[in-house]
Amino acid sequence: MAVVAEPVVARPQPVQRYRMRVGMFAWMLHRLSGLALVGYLVVHIWGLKAITNPDAYNALITSYHAPIFKVGEFLLLGAVIYHALNGLRIVLIDFMGWSPNQRKLFWTLGAVAAVLFAVGGYPSIAALVDHFTA
Amino acid sequence: MATTYGRTARSSAFQWFAHRITGTFLIFLLITHFWVQHYDRTTASISHSVVTAEEAEAGVLPRYTDEAAAAVEAFRERERVPSGESRIVVPAQDGRIEGDAPGPTHPPGETAAVTPYDVLMLRLGDPVYAVLWKGFNLLFLAFALHHGFYGLNNVLTDYIRNDMARVGAIALSWTLALVLFVIGAYSVIVAGL
Repeated sequence: MAVVAEPVVARPQPVQRYRMRVGMFAWMLHRLSGLALVGYLVVHIWGLKAITNPDAYNALITSYHAPIFKVGEFLLLGAVIYHALNGLRIVLIDFMGWSPNQRKLFWTLGAVAAVLFAVGGYPSIAALVDHFTA
Repeated sequence: MATTYGRTARSSAFQWFAHRITGTFLIFLLITHFWVQHYDRTTASISHSVVTAEEAEAGVLPRYTDEAAAAVEAFRERERVPSGESRIVVPAQDGRIEGDAPGPTHPPGETAAVTPYDVLMLRLGDPVYAVLWKGFNLLFLAFALHHGFYGLNNVLTDYIRNDMARVGAIALSWTLALVLFVIGAYSVIVAGL
């Protein structure tokens, strides 16, 4: 990480304050989406015990087709895409030393994420629109 | 890296490295998973139809594509006549006609509704490829759990300041991960057997 020397201002502050930059925001969102995905993973694996029983599995998958789950599917896709691409950015910086380009990298991956989100999320939203307009 | 800073038990350098490796692998595993489960017209268990709770209560199942129905029908056809077994016609014995030989139990041409389980069995019930899909699922399970719970432990380590509570939380979370691995692995291996 490039360290920019800044004039040291020794001024005691009652509360620690951080300078919010894009990278910090990315880090916070990475943690939050990661925690959400771990929570989802636990529920998902627990629910999929049903694959050993045809009736239970049919009921489970049918319940996944409820309107609220279509919204959830869309949000899940968003969390996965963000976490995956920001994680890829971290790996590229750590292993490839891409830090001088990291700002450009962040916005490039942001554009890729937007495209993936639109293409991947379309079916869930289209199914919902069909359901509520038909 | 580990060689520079020494290989102490507390350095977690290997974990740090593994977290990035599993993360990179998970991108590819997830793309495959999403494609197979949500987008492939034949194998997607989650179709794009919406079924409300009331409809589900009344026994409505999600709708599947014609491709999925055709694949399920082909699968049933294969199951009905295991190659080289039922083709053997038992010679008629005294007073018994040839039709008594073991044969299809359903009238030919009858197509029952395609259920999510039928679609799942296209992969996990396949006599040849089920092994590959189960291997894929086990790898996915192990990587996802390690990546997820190592990440969770980073968060727990950062925010739980009390030593006892932190060690307890970390032990508890890895225990949960292990339990989930056993449950998940059992389910995947047993499904379709």
